[in-house]
Amino acid sequence: MTARASSEITVGEMLRRHGISRRGFIKYCSAAASAMALPPSMGVAMAEQLRNAPRPSVVYLSFQECTGCLESLTRSFAPTIENLIFNIISLDYDDTLMAAAGDAAESARNKAMQDNFGKYVLLVDGSVPTGAGGGYCTAGGRSAVDTLREAAKGAAAIVCVGTCSAFGGIPFADPNPTGAWPVTAIVGDKPIINVSGCPPIPEVITGTLLQFVTTGKVPDLDEHLRPKVFFGNTIHDRCYRRPFFDEGKFAKSFDDEGARNGWCLYELGCKGPTTYNACATLKWNGGTSFPIESGHGCLGCSEPGFWDKGSFYAAQSAAAWGKAGEAAPLQVLKLTAAAAAAGAVLGTASAGVGRLRQHRGEQDAVDRESKGD
Amino acid sequence: MDLLGFARGPALKVAIAIFCLGVAWRIVGFGLLRIRRDLNKPRAPIAKYLVGGLVAVGSRSWPHREFIGRTGAGEALGYSYHLGLFAVVLLFGPHIAFLGSLFGITWPGLPSSLITVISVLTLTLFVAVLFRRVTNPVMRMLSNFDDYFSWLVTMLVLVTGLAATAHFGAAYQTLLALHILSVDLLLVWFPFGKLMHAFYIFPSRALNGAILARKGATS
Amino acid sequence: MSRLTEIPVRIETALPTGGLGGGVAAILSELANLLQRLADVQECATIDVRSLPMSPHDRIALQHALGEGEVRATLDAQGLSSIRETRVPGIWWVEHRDRDGELMAESIEVTRMPQILMSDTDEIAAGARALRAQITASPAARTRPQMP
Repeated sequence: MTARASSEITVGEMLRRHGISRRGFIKYCSAAASAMALPPSMGVAMAEQLRNAPRPSVVYLSFQECTGCLESLTRSFAPTIENLIFNIISLDYDDTLMAAAGDAAESARNKAMQDNFGKYVLLVDGSVPTGAGGGYCTAGGRSAVDTLREAAKGAAAIVCVGTCSAFGGIPFADPNPTGAWPVTAIVGDKPIINVSGCPPIPEVITGTLLQFVTTGKVPDLDEHLRPKVFFGNTIHDRCYRRPFFDEGKFAKSFDDEGARNGWCLYELGCKGPTTYNACATLKWNGGTSFPIESGHGCLGCSEPGFWDKGSFYAAQSAAAWGKAGEAAPLQVLKLTAAAAAAGAVLGTASAGVGRLRQHRGEQDAVDRESKGD
Repeated sequence: MDLLGFARGPALKVAIAIFCLGVAWRIVGFGLLRIRRDLNKPRAPIAKYLVGGLVAVGSRSWPHREFIGRTGAGEALGYSYHLGLFAVVLLFGPHIAFLGSLFGITWPGLPSSLITVISVLTLTLFVAVLFRRVTNPVMRMLSNFDDYFSWLVTMLVLVTGLAATAHFGAAYQTLLALHILSVDLLLVWFPFGKLMHAFYIFPSRALNGAILARKGATS
Repeated sequence: MSRLTEIPVRIETALPTGGLGGGVAAILSELANLLQRLADVQECATIDVRSLPMSPHDRIALQHALGEGEVRATLDAQGLSSIRETRVPGIWWVEHRDRDGELMAESIEVTRMPQILMSDTDEIAAGARALRAQITASPAARTRPQMP
């Protein structure tokens, strides 16, 4: 299900214009296939299939976001790897990257959506606020909700880039003053792929896009609609510090001896065990490192509601009672004292009943004895 | 709210509240009952029978020589799995972190792989204990729902804990949620069944020892 | 909290010892099977080296086991790639690197020749047209009778 490109030239032609040879493209596709754990022969097949295909039209809409996801995508260490995707696709609208602005930009988008109706890929980053009639996020006089609903009508598929569009992210966090919602809450009738992360790893974004534009099919998704190939394992499953976790060697504070020896960061709040992402294998900045390797626990940024799951620095097994401003031990003390007091009252009542029975029992025994005399 | 959030949040809060309420209820409930007044003359001064009470706690912790042949194996089995349970609950890193977050204090633990070994051993002993209860005619006759349910509730905690550590059977979040829910169940059941022996056992022995010492006997 | 400059930097250089060991033998075994299939039914295959759970020691052991052959090709496209036949005919070790020299992909191909080395038919046709145009445009061509 490849889109008819607005410029009607093939991907191969586009690559040639940018001086990227067939062999260079095969190299890129082989790397992408490897990253996606596809059979290596798929790399060549992907390259051949894409080369003769018209460039798919892509519309990128940004709503209530910090632009970190787009930054992640465009700021890559190996420019040819991630920016190559921009040679493959025809990015017909991105309000951050495009040179046009204002009415010119909007009409370019509308034309692209019209010309490619039913065939373009819609990329969305940022959550969608519904409060104040959608007024918390407007562009060109239209609310984000309306823009999204309209753009979704003609999309072949929607790829939510980043946790904000996938799950609501930071705007969605308690108390959610703008009434922010993820894309799945607004659009229900189109295939949606969630590429979550705050931001997502660039190779994950481009790999997912590449897989979709090559095969035209949505990849295998988990229950949160994330591609299983990237989000199938937890960070904990693939973490290189796992032997330390298994041995019970935990860093107790940042910069202590354990931390300097690279011990497990579980007690410093690492959310690795419950976070599904590819950080421990693909890593960041072209495979340089990832948060745990750099000494900070995983924040769980690719999971729904990660901002509301308790402190980033409290161990995952810590009780999660979440009343901010009051230390957990104090809350525990109050709760147990109140419960114990209530129990003591019940106990006194029970003892009262018990003593009454004891007294009556003794009285009966005395009565029986006196009768027997 | 997902299952894990529920298990660690409201469910845990309610479970701890019920636990404290129930334990206080039962302890106060039986503590305030009247002890039948012994009208005999005391055979020992008060201090001595208080000491006698304390001594009984120790002396009744192991069967008398005459009975070891018949009850020694059962006692050893019981001690072993209790020690195993305490080790796993109190000396496993994530548990220490959890208890530390509740009470504000932490202590050093054992290597997690050692804890896994202890857990598996304890699990085996637990199964052995059930086997004994079911096959021994006296035990079978004495056992009721309380015994079996208390066993089940503790066993669930062990099994779910091992499954969570091994990431076996389901997604880790689900296993962790089930483990915490099983702990919640244990806490809720605790005050209302035979698990209360944890609180009764030492006062009970001490009381018996004191009563006997008052009569001039040792235990 | 100590100052940034006071934090000692410790560089880990020692490679982890041990490793799968038996993994190399298993890979060689599979390669032997794949090579037999290539000989019997001309079926090609590729193994993604990065997907194999190997320690650095195992990887070096595997490279030594396969050895170096007669053919070594360098591909210069979006960075350098090395395509070389191992001591075993039909088994090629392919390494793709990007412009910064970072390893992008690494595979072992069981084939007569890796497809990436062969010139593409479309590009050949385009090349023929370009060459003819070049000949026509060059000064030497103007003094010579035109080739049909």
